[in-house]
Amino acid sequence: MPSRIPAVLWAQWRILWNLRLARGSGGRLVGLALVVVWYGLWTALAASTAVVLADPARREAMGAALPWALLLVFGYWQLTPVFTASLGASLNLTKVLIYPIPERQLFALEVLLRVTTGVEMLLVLGGITLGLLLNPAVPGATVLVAVTVFALLNLLLAAGTRSLLERLVAHKRMREALVFLLVLAVALPQVLAHTGLPRFFASWLAHSPAGLWPWTAAGRVALGASTAADWAVLGAWTLAAYLFGRWQFSRTLRVDAAAAGSAPRPVPRAGAWTDRLYRLPVRLLPDPLAALVEKELRSLFRTPRFRLVFLMGFTFGFLIWVPLWRTESFIFRRAAEDFAVLVSVYALLLLSEVVFWNVFGFDRAAAQLYYSAPARLRTVLAAKNLAAAVVVVLEATMITAACLLLRMPVTAGKILEAYAVLLILSLFLTAAGNLSSLYWARPVDPDHSWGRTSRGRSHALMVLVFPLLSLPVLLAYVARHVFQSQLVFLGGLAVATALGALCYRLALGAAAGLAERQREDLLAVLTAGAGPLA
Amino acid sequence: MSERPAIAVRDLRKVYGEKAAVDGLTLSVPRGCFFGFLGPNGAGKTTTIRMLLGLAAPTAGEIEMLGLPMPEQALAIKRRIGVVPEESVLFDRLTGAEHLEFAGRMYGLERRVAAVRAGELLGLFELNGQPKKLIADYSKGMRKRLSMAAALIHRPELLLLDEPFEGVDAVGARMMKDLLLDQVRQGVTVFLTSHVMEVVERLCDRVAIIHQGRLVMEGATAELRSGTETLEDAFVRLVGGERSLEKLDWL
Repeated sequence: MPSRIPAVLWAQWRILWNLRLARGSGGRLVGLALVVVWYGLWTALAASTAVVLADPARREAMGAALPWALLLVFGYWQLTPVFTASLGASLNLTKVLIYPIPERQLFALEVLLRVTTGVEMLLVLGGITLGLLLNPAVPGATVLVAVTVFALLNLLLAAGTRSLLERLVAHKRMREALVFLLVLAVALPQVLAHTGLPRFFASWLAHSPAGLWPWTAAGRVALGASTAADWAVLGAWTLAAYLFGRWQFSRTLRVDAAAAGSAPRPVPRAGAWTDRLYRLPVRLLPDPLAALVEKELRSLFRTPRFRLVFLMGFTFGFLIWVPLWRTESFIFRRAAEDFAVLVSVYALLLLSEVVFWNVFGFDRAAAQLYYSAPARLRTVLAAKNLAAAVVVVLEATMITAACLLLRMPVTAGKILEAYAVLLILSLFLTAAGNLSSLYWARPVDPDHSWGRTSRGRSHALMVLVFPLLSLPVLLAYVARHVFQSQLVFLGGLAVATALGALCYRLALGAAAGLAERQREDLLAVLTAGAGPLA
Repeated sequence: MSERPAIAVRDLRKVYGEKAAVDGLTLSVPRGCFFGFLGPNGAGKTTTIRMLLGLAAPTAGEIEMLGLPMPEQALAIKRRIGVVPEESVLFDRLTGAEHLEFAGRMYGLERRVAAVRAGELLGLFELNGQPKKLIADYSKGMRKRLSMAAALIHRPELLLLDEPFEGVDAVGARMMKDLLLDQVRQGVTVFLTSHVMEVVERLCDRVAIIHQGRLVMEGATAELRSGTETLEDAFVRLVGGERSLEKLDWL
């Protein structure tokens, strides 16, 4: 049976061509420049490595350093893509499974695609290979074998890990829990830097025989200083990685997404506190505004992406800032007073991705309804903004509760300050977000717990705009510092509030007008693309 | 071997959590038959098709397609069948011609042959007006027509079609129906699900009705109707859909 691999790769090439190259775009040049810089840096590192390893005088030092270098390569290849939530290209199994393609070919494709998560490491391994080949003190043949087998091991293991993760995340609750843990794990190095390695782990690392690790065996083989045991270890790890990869891929191939997603979503019973929260707008606002706010709140709290950032706001924020607060650094000791404000603003930054910047893309399924319902788009936007305000107040409340639980040095005044700052910042963010949601609308699957909700260009813009929008509030803080007066600070906040309200009012009108004028473009843009490689 | 039915299903069962989506389904589709597979929403039609395709593993039961056991002979079966699934399996960033060529190559056709057939199918399905148009820009009806073209590119012996006319305009649907009838005349078996009873009544030789995962009726289309009863009347009667229209005061 002829291989189907070329057909899949050809289709992917055509998709990339149609998407990136066949249509003109100014952003493509910026993207290309970033790619060149990124891989240029890795190429420079690879070249430096080659120069260092080519020196015969460093033969002794290499014996100690090479396994560590290979360990770093291994760690980057296996873990970094998981932590950065970028698992690279992968087969879109749901779309190719209808064709008669053998499982072994699918697996071979999947292993090949793992290269996309470790191109940087292939460059580094290339540098290592070149350096060792140029080194007269190192036998060339074993270098090629060691590096090739080590790369293969990484590819096979990455294929297995990815398949395992893909299957786990098919379960909604598991997906959220896993993504949350992965996100928390990003803060692990910082926490470990302050708390040290757990004792049992340090002891285990110290006492485990180094020769049993693949990076050690690969290092020795590469340097031509190997024993039969090193070859056996490297071979055994590669075989184990193959079996693991094939096993996991095979299981993922057979997973039934419908079955995985069949667990009924819990719906709050009438009278539950969440249901009372959703019903709150009805008590305070007229319809259709109240109905829209209620719909927004219900939708948001049932959306995995939102739940993740909401949860991160008062957990991840603490993981990031608490170790800094506990340092002896003068700056951070001073910042302890403003801890609640600091964490709240950080949480707002996280939340802004889903409740401010791309509100129509995040709610794409309802976009058509908004245009066909007899409600003005100004009302729709206002409802989304009010729901965002409710969310922000809830987040601030959770942060306050967490501060009190952790016995942080926060006073009632500072808590009120956090609420005030958040609400003022929200005014500016909603003003900017209402416009960006229309100018840079992007379809988003809110069931995806990870991945950005905005295009790279607009995402970068948001990061730049956030400090700018915070400027009026920042100036109030500067004024307090300069004049050493709480009254001046409150005055500054009042001015910021007035300015924010004015910006909001103007932006809401402009956004509502824009939404009316660009309805066709907006609805057209809220459609997704797909390919054989996801 | 050729006497064996195109599809034979015995005691097929699929359970999701505590719910049986398909519950002891036994079915036989003769070769060269235009077979309608009907049922209300959530009856288990799509789940059955997913199991026939090997995309979902049955909890229990046996499946035989074109005389070969599924999933043991999944590859050999897939080479001989064409599929229009309910969910889109099209690649949005390809053009129609590129997708058809891809599908042809995936079914084992030589690249040149796949490209020629792709062009011819695009013409037949009237999708060749804008050759550079991406599938992302296709309407729902165009997508369905392209799916049908992709299902036909390798001359399959059996077609599994899940709601193939959904969103297709009257002219396109008429062409597709005529094409399918012609395929059946050539000996191809068609297994079709549709909610449009008139379509099934006009096209299908045999009909099976599934309700809550169970087969409630199977037979020749003419047999299912009794007297002046239409297929729709029979369907509503069999799936217990004769809900009383209790008047709402405000309606």
